[in-house]
Amino acid sequence: MKKLLAIMLVALFAVGAVSAQKVANPTKIQLWTQEGQADGALQYVQALAKAYSSVDSKVTIEVVQKDTEALREDFQTASLAGNAPELLWTVSDHAGPFTLAELIQPVDSFAKLSDFVESVVIGGKTWGVPISSGNHLMLMYNKDFVKTAPKDTDEMIAVGKSLIGKVQAPLVFNFTEPFWLAPWIGGFGGRVFGADGKTPTLNTKAMSDALQFLYDLKSTYKIMPAEADYNIMDTLFKEGKAAMIINGDWALGEYQKTLGAKFAVAPIPMVKATGKYPAPYTSGKYFMVADGVKGDKLTAVKGFIAFATNNANQLDMVKTLKRLPALKAALEDTSIASDPILKGSSAQMAVGTPMPVVFEMRAIWDAMKPELINVLSGSKTAVAAAKDMQSAAEAGIKAMK
Amino acid sequence: MTPLTADFMLSSLGEVGSTILAVASAIALLELVLWVVFGKILKHRLALPIMLITPAAVGICILVIYPMLYELKLAFSNMSLYRFKNPQFGPQYGWANIVRIFTEPVLKQTGFFKVLGRTVVWTLVQISFHVLGGLALALLLNKKIHLKGLYRTILVLPWAVPQIVAVLAWRGEFNFEYGYINVLLGKIGVGPVNWKMDPFWNFVAVNITNIWLGIPFMMVTLLGGLQSIDSTYYEAADIDGANAWYKFRNVTLPLLKPVLTPAVVLGLIWTFNNFNVPFFINENELESSDILVTALFRAAFEYNTYGFAAMFAFVILFILLGMTLVYMKVSDFRPVAKKVMIAAEEA
Repeated sequence: MKKLLAIMLVALFAVGAVSAQKVANPTKIQLWTQEGQADGALQYVQALAKAYSSVDSKVTIEVVQKDTEALREDFQTASLAGNAPELLWTVSDHAGPFTLAELIQPVDSFAKLSDFVESVVIGGKTWGVPISSGNHLMLMYNKDFVKTAPKDTDEMIAVGKSLIGKVQAPLVFNFTEPFWLAPWIGGFGGRVFGADGKTPTLNTKAMSDALQFLYDLKSTYKIMPAEADYNIMDTLFKEGKAAMIINGDWALGEYQKTLGAKFAVAPIPMVKATGKYPAPYTSGKYFMVADGVKGDKLTAVKGFIAFATNNANQLDMVKTLKRLPALKAALEDTSIASDPILKGSSAQMAVGTPMPVVFEMRAIWDAMKPELINVLSGSKTAVAAAKDMQSAAEAGIKAMK
Repeated sequence: MTPLTADFMLSSLGEVGSTILAVASAIALLELVLWVVFGKILKHRLALPIMLITPAAVGICILVIYPMLYELKLAFSNMSLYRFKNPQFGPQYGWANIVRIFTEPVLKQTGFFKVLGRTVVWTLVQISFHVLGGLALALLLNKKIHLKGLYRTILVLPWAVPQIVAVLAWRGEFNFEYGYINVLLGKIGVGPVNWKMDPFWNFVAVNITNIWLGIPFMMVTLLGGLQSIDSTYYEAADIDGANAWYKFRNVTLPLLKPVLTPAVVLGLIWTFNNFNVPFFINENELESSDILVTALFRAAFEYNTYGFAAMFAFVILFILLGMTLVYMKVSDFRPVAKKVMIAAEEA
């Protein structure tokens, strides 16, 4: 309720700033989002949608929550059936399959995109209006166990080893998902695609070094638990049973609420062997508009996008969700520089790398996931896993065509 | 997850209610048209049967026949995300899909025959455990024992729990850190098992879950069969001096066959096509735990190769059809069914 009131107030101030056209007839649009409830983001989206009725009373926005993968699959199926939602609030990598299948429309004319951080551009057209920037991983730690953030990997291992026996997990991250492998590939000097942005380059020394490093963290230095998926790592950290966690900006608000002053953020430590910082993928959340939306529905969509991304709402999102905004003016706001958590997040984003949005990335994720698990479970060497990743990615790309 | 508030329940009921209302209205309209045409205008003697059968026939056409025909059409196409709105259709695309199924990986790295072999192993292991476990429990429950009703209720529970809920609960129990199974193993001094990341143990975990889920159905079915066997057969065998094993082999098993055969055939089909257990227990998407239907799902919805996946689905259908026909032939199922029908007619 408080959240809704806050947004309503922001909405009242913002009404004047929103110059979008209003619909002529009562209009209902559906918005699919992959934001979850745990960090309050879904509630934020719902409150925002409800508050838009104060801007345009004839518009009703129905918010439907779906997991990231379910949103992609269901949107494709719904589009094929001619029953797609008008608007999506989702991650950048969905733009790859959606543009390939011609399911979304360009948004170049929907907003003044030069006012925003870099958006999703494919084939010279922009396919998403940025909502937040980041969506990147970073090091988060509990000051009860770690006084200052480790600067490099050697220091991180030393800190971790000193905590064995004192805390259940000195370091934890989700090592069943390759999204958590991506920063280390960059840290060891690798990339998943070659110069053309489409050819997989997974069978490299950088990849095998990164895999070996993760194996060593778990099995040689024993500073990570034997198994950790998202729920395990999240629970361990929130319950104060993990000293350090690598997680994304979506968790900042919740962790700060749970741990309070004990919570701190820093970039993932530099890889000592290469002198490079791990480069997590950066992207953010974007509005994408279904192909074929027109008339009053399109007017409502444009109006809501303008409303949700205005300066006041962007700053409200920073405050509520601890996410970096996509609007440049909001990014420069003093509230970000003065907040140590957001400052840490911003520092990590500076060394991040934009997440590839081409459809081929699907095959890269699918190729990396089982091999990452194989290495960490000790059933395959890092070198063999890198080789198999490459062949799986090539086979996957071929199969998709 | 959306909280279960009164508003949410009302809006959900509203959505479901409006769909039900629309379907009911359509059926009422259809019946009215049939009644007017066949009952009033044509005065057809079969007007009532036609009115009773038509809604079901329309439902089957919409929900089964049309999707099957559409799938067949897709199987002869090159539809994928690259050709989502404008796929090409023709026999050459169907042939290309068939060739691809048997010559290229159907998963990321695993080919069709390896996945088929694993599916056969999975099916045989499951059916063996289901039949043996179900038969053993049914034989026990068929005896005169105290609290039989209570035991039966407890044993049927896995079947009564919605499958997806049971599977997700089991998945939690296979958790390395917090899962009850590893906790139990720890108590007896056996090291924790990496159920989710180790390929062998993951496949074992998938099997354990489905054995637990499948035994109650077989038990209930076979118990029904056992209870229908006339006790005079056993009395006659006792007079002839038959021992327990002889009675089981020569009285129980043959008379259980009419019940056992369809139960095994159904079990084969359900297990071969079981999606929920191998898909959800295999949380980390290990290829080593995938069976044909989960591979099919990944082809269709992860790689979006719709034409290929449709043809793959037909290949699975034909395998199942073949297996069922062979089993019915080997187990002499038809004559038994025929005998039952003849006996019913005579009665």
